[in-house]
Amino acid sequence: MKISAIRHVSGFDVARPVSIGVMLGIMLPLVLLPLLSIFIFGTSKGLGTFWSALVAPDAIFALKLSIVTSFWATLFNVTFGLFAAYVLSRYDFWGRNAVIVTISLPTAIPTAVAGFALLLLWGKYGMIGKFFSERHQVMFTPYAIILANIFVTFPLAFGVIKPVFDTMSRSLEEASATIGATRLQTFWHVTLPSLRGAIVSGALLTFARAVGEFGSTILVSGNLAGRTQTAPLYIYAKFNEGQIEAANAIAIVLALLSFVIFSVLFFARDWLEFETQEA
Amino acid sequence: MALAADRDPHVSWAPDRERRTGVAASVRGVSKRFKKSRILEDISFDVAEGESLVLLGASGSGKTTILRIIAGLEQPDQGRVILHGKDVTDLPARERGVGVIFQAYALFPRMTVEKNIGYGLKIRRLPRKERRETVNRLLKLVQLEEHRKKYPWQLSGGQQQRVAIARTLAYKPQVLLFDEPFGALDAQTRVKLRREIRSLLKQVKVPAVFITHDQEEALELGDRIAVLNDGHLEQIGTPDEVYNQPATEYVATFLGAANLLLGVVTQGCVEIGSARLPAARETARFREGQSVKLVFRPEDICVSQDANLPEGCRRLANGVIEEVNFVGSYERLNVRLDLTHRRQAEHEPPLYQVTINTPERMTGVPIMVTRPKPKGNATRYKAGDRVAVGLTSFSVLPNYTLARQR
Ligand SMILES: Nc1ncnc2c1ncn2[C@@H]1O[C@H](COP(=O)(O)OP(=O)(O)OP(=O)(O)O)[C@@H](O)[C@H]1O
Ligand SMILES: [Mg+2]
Repeated sequence: MKISAIRHVSGFDVARPVSIGVMLGIMLPLVLLPLLSIFIFGTSKGLGTFWSALVAPDAIFALKLSIVTSFWATLFNVTFGLFAAYVLSRYDFWGRNAVIVTISLPTAIPTAVAGFALLLLWGKYGMIGKFFSERHQVMFTPYAIILANIFVTFPLAFGVIKPVFDTMSRSLEEASATIGATRLQTFWHVTLPSLRGAIVSGALLTFARAVGEFGSTILVSGNLAGRTQTAPLYIYAKFNEGQIEAANAIAIVLALLSFVIFSVLFFARDWLEFETQEA
Repeated sequence: MALAADRDPHVSWAPDRERRTGVAASVRGVSKRFKKSRILEDISFDVAEGESLVLLGASGSGKTTILRIIAGLEQPDQGRVILHGKDVTDLPARERGVGVIFQAYALFPRMTVEKNIGYGLKIRRLPRKERRETVNRLLKLVQLEEHRKKYPWQLSGGQQQRVAIARTLAYKPQVLLFDEPFGALDAQTRVKLRREIRSLLKQVKVPAVFITHDQEEALELGDRIAVLNDGHLEQIGTPDEVYNQPATEYVATFLGAANLLLGVVTQGCVEIGSARLPAARETARFREGQSVKLVFRPEDICVSQDANLPEGCRRLANGVIEEVNFVGSYERLNVRLDLTHRRQAEHEPPLYQVTINTPERMTGVPIMVTRPKPKGNATRYKAGDRVAVGLTSFSVLPNYTLARQR
């Protein structure tokens, strides 16, 4: 994209360097420096310290747990989001708008409230939890973390996929039907490929959000090192214990992960949607 | 570029050879409402094997709805759809074997030209080899061999349309339905493409239904034309019939320009004011004294300065030339007919109230006449010339004053 500057005067435009400078000046302390400090501090005692902090068993476990629980939550929410978006954009029924609002609700709820609500429902004395025996309790296990992740990231994939469904031309699906395809074949061969970009970005968004989830996880997981401690909880715990290097190593990994996801989201979109660029 | 004149025997398939003269598709008494408004009222027509029928009508007249009902994308409230003798009204779209070419072609954006064309075969789980052969044959037929690996957005509008046609031909549809196939194209391409499609259809011998609101397109594409007006069928017939013997005023005015005069049937003539047009055959179906409309096209009028009108031209009245215009390939004359002392029909409101200053013009009726260039050059007219006016062909329609009299 080429941007042509608004020119009131010919020759050197003073507004240009000044405005760019002000913008960067605001961003620096608020966004860039905090991120930079993680890397500067984390590597200040040498890469050796960083490495040993990273490969500590609890650290590895926390990272793995975060990734695995986020993966399942993502898988569930993308599948459900796809299904819900299909139903809600293809069928009209009484209360349809209410359902759309409800699906989107978890974004607006504080994560601590979400965790607390889950405890009330699934906990030992909760509405569902009380029917489970002591050994099969869900709360304070990795499953609780998945449940919390599902809850807080629920609307993300749906929110990305639904607009694509809405704007998708019905005539593609109708064409497929007249050609002789069943609903399932149409969905698989025609609808789904057009959603590829939305599904990938929805999944990445959900995953990124789930990996970083803290508020609800700390309530429902029990925060047991090596058992139910996710990476963000590990950072918090190590920081409280004064082990800044340990916290920092994981922080670097999480930050890098976010960078990667963000870059994929940013750059892969074009690639994923290349065939429809013209449309 | 003409389509490949490919005489491959596999290219053409009539669904059943001995039923060649039979009916491929028929719509019987179809009605449809959306919410409270009536969209289609008791529509019936047949499409013969190998025939192309054009549905012509103004925007919103219900053309697309008829097409969608035939394709199974919409359910009629009443009536039946029959394809090759089989009632398919209750079958879903995918079991009807109908090919629809959508207005914007609806090509699958994530599939190449090849894959688009092969889609119907893939769905039917045909062996890969057979699929490839059919796709190759169709690519050749629509002349897109060098574009086979491209995606739809990399093709021109006309090429996209050919892919859409090949995609439906691949699964040998019982009937092809085209929804305004040339709507998205420029005027020149439209003309070129409709000739291509016409010759392609003659090759593959699949019956087709076209939708258009362009009368020129309708006349050129259709073996027969069905004129639709606000949800009901006004007339169905060959282009010649529909154009030269319009059944209703709507058909006459929708297809080309037409002059309309009100008259009364009197002794085998149409009496229009003081004028009497001999029309024994045309008035045979009316009773004496019935109020009728005389409909005639501008090009079916002959004018002459001496009283001798050419052979086959029936004298209508005298008139005054008011204006002469050259409109490209032909000449247009505005003529005001002298039609005084018109006898009024039973219960008929007074007719033309032309209020212009001169006494002659007070009762005159303006008509439009067109003449081809050579004729215009042979005898030049100027405004104010008095001429005799005759008609070579015209139609006489009942003059219903109320819609429910239809
Ligand atoms: N799904 C629908 N719900 C409600 N009304 C509809 C629906 N589909 C069509 N209509 C109405 O039916 C009428 C006929 O529509 P249709 O699309 O058949 O017209 P058309 O002859 O194809 O017009 P055009 O030349 O503009 O495409 C229109 O008044 C339209 O508003
Ligand atoms: Mg239409």
